[in-house]
Amino acid sequence: MKRMIALLLALIMMCGIAGAFAEDTVKIGIIVPFTGTMSLYGECMFKGATMAVDEINANGGLLGKQVELIKYDNQNDETESRNGFNWLIKQDVELIIGPLSSGTTKAIVDMANDEEVVLLTCTATNDALDEEDNFVFRCCYKDSFQGTIGAAFCYLNGYKKVGAIYCAADTYSKGLYDSFAAGCEKYGIEIVETASTASFDSMDVTNQFTAMIEKGAELVYTPYYYNTIGPLVVPQARSAGYTGVILGADGFDGVPDYVVPGADLDIYNNVYWNNHFDPNADSEIVRSFVSRYQALYNNETPNALSVLPYDAVYMFATAINNAGAADAESVREAMSDTSAVYELVTGTFTLNEDGSPNKGATMFEFYHDTENDRVDFRAISVINELPEVK
Amino acid sequence: MTIFLSTLMVGLRLGSIYALIALGYTMVYGIIRMINFAHGDFIMVGGYTLVFTMPVMTEKLGLPAWTGVVFAIIVCAIVGVLVELLAYRPVRKKGTGMSALITAIAMSLILENLAQAIPAIGPNPKIPQVIFPASSLTLAGITIDTTTIYTIVVAGAMMVLLTLLVKKTSFGRAMRAVSENKKAAVLMGVSVDRTILLTFAIGASLAAVAALMYIAQYPLVFTTIGSSLGLKAFVAAVLGGIGSLPGAMLGGLIIGMAESFTVSYISSAMADTFVYLILIIVLLIRPVGILGKNVREKV
Repeated sequence: MKRMIALLLALIMMCGIAGAFAEDTVKIGIIVPFTGTMSLYGECMFKGATMAVDEINANGGLLGKQVELIKYDNQNDETESRNGFNWLIKQDVELIIGPLSSGTTKAIVDMANDEEVVLLTCTATNDALDEEDNFVFRCCYKDSFQGTIGAAFCYLNGYKKVGAIYCAADTYSKGLYDSFAAGCEKYGIEIVETASTASFDSMDVTNQFTAMIEKGAELVYTPYYYNTIGPLVVPQARSAGYTGVILGADGFDGVPDYVVPGADLDIYNNVYWNNHFDPNADSEIVRSFVSRYQALYNNETPNALSVLPYDAVYMFATAINNAGAADAESVREAMSDTSAVYELVTGTFTLNEDGSPNKGATMFEFYHDTENDRVDFRAISVINELPEVK
Repeated sequence: MTIFLSTLMVGLRLGSIYALIALGYTMVYGIIRMINFAHGDFIMVGGYTLVFTMPVMTEKLGLPAWTGVVFAIIVCAIVGVLVELLAYRPVRKKGTGMSALITAIAMSLILENLAQAIPAIGPNPKIPQVIFPASSLTLAGITIDTTTIYTIVVAGAMMVLLTLLVKKTSFGRAMRAVSENKKAAVLMGVSVDRTILLTFAIGASLAAVAALMYIAQYPLVFTTIGSSLGLKAFVAAVLGGIGSLPGAMLGGLIIGMAESFTVSYISSAMADTFVYLILIIVLLIRPVGILGKNVREKV
């Protein structure tokens, strides 16, 4: 028996030594969905993060240590996100990137603050996430900024009478509508009609758009995701006879893959939206990122979901270099410094006191690419700062 | 006036689809007194069959896309028959009404999960191609797209056909006999099991037609497409009087209209609330539904 205990103790000690060796890497955890309905998004995010980590390691790592990326599949589920968080902590991870959605991020915000682990989300835009924050940061803008960008777009382009259709039961849709409405008030834009849908996923908005026409709306704000915008919202709006502008937010990313084959693609003209990243932007840092990404991943064009985690890894890198240490407390301290500048692919920015970036948005439009007979998108303008009311 | 007419058309097209699905609920209930909760998922089966067969019909055979419905009807009928043969019949012979009901809920979940497990279907929604070429009619100042008109016409035609089938054919007579009294039907030489199987096949075929009309209007197919659609159609069947064919049609149209008019005139977020509110009020006044028969239980 004694021998057994001695053996066990020896084993434990060996594990301890192995653990000490493992300390020689900087561990970054990433919680994203690799299975389930959002798995395609998770894959994109992991590709971006992996690329950044490999680049950093090829250039000698951080503070002389190699970076190790540890992934956890949360299936875009709240409970699985909590499990993933606990699992990563057991692996001595102190820096975590993710999760994908606002709901799953919300599930682990309190845990990150309690366990004193830095959580950096790159895609959760909901406002409430970082309000009581200590250890939570993000590298995308918030919904309140996105909605206001929509209102600013109306103001800059001279739309005076607008309408809005949203889903009151969905956090994303409701959050965007609220900030859009507040923005419209600020810019003196009249909301002539507001309508809602009972569901976020399947709906008939014909009656809502008929009402929009009746009230004379020149533009309708529709904060939904690509899976309903492509096949349902835009075709129904046009067949109800609405020819005006349809405006949305980052959820429109992906619409070209969700248009109805054989439909009249001209209906997608006059649809505008904002996003975090423009792969065709005229800047050296973007061009270089896109070409490296394409060389690595089969010529695939990176989207916002792959570039934001890439930037998130570099945000950690900048903070670790600034702090001269890679533990959670030092990284948090460095990231809380509102004067620290991050020069990244999605823009050069600082973090505000909440831990959210001060950065602009690119406005896009869809158009019917008649040569290839498909819907494509192109950037039309960049709004770096919200315009002042004259 | 424009709003009123357009609301009416939306209500009619939603109502026609609900009615087609409600017929399936009501037929099965009429014959075995069981609510087939998997019926909504037959729409999903039909929807995916259409997504996969329509490109073949148009590209390989040069036929119009809607002809894919033939395959949808066949696949749905087979699935309907299999569900009855493998799950409902053994449970019905052994257990009580409650166990049959639970089996139905289980079948609904099984169908949804099985669909997701098929690699060609996967987790992401599918977008079917255009089914009826876009064109529209302008009538009394409002434009109605042709898909809406087809939906209403097809639903009407299916109802007439079904009524003829039940009223005029020997199979219809057998169905009515089994529905009224199983034992007496057996004594009259009716094969009860066969009649029930055929009822399932017909109900599922109607779901395939409903799937065609639904995805022609709302081109998005996902594995849980049948759950809220099925629930509304079930409400329609109960509202009209479950077990009654004209009741299912009437119930479907009322639910569709209620939904559409609530959106236009009361509150767009409350459409579903009003649908269920109507159900509760009608059931308080007439517990058997609008056209339901008051059958006294014999002790």
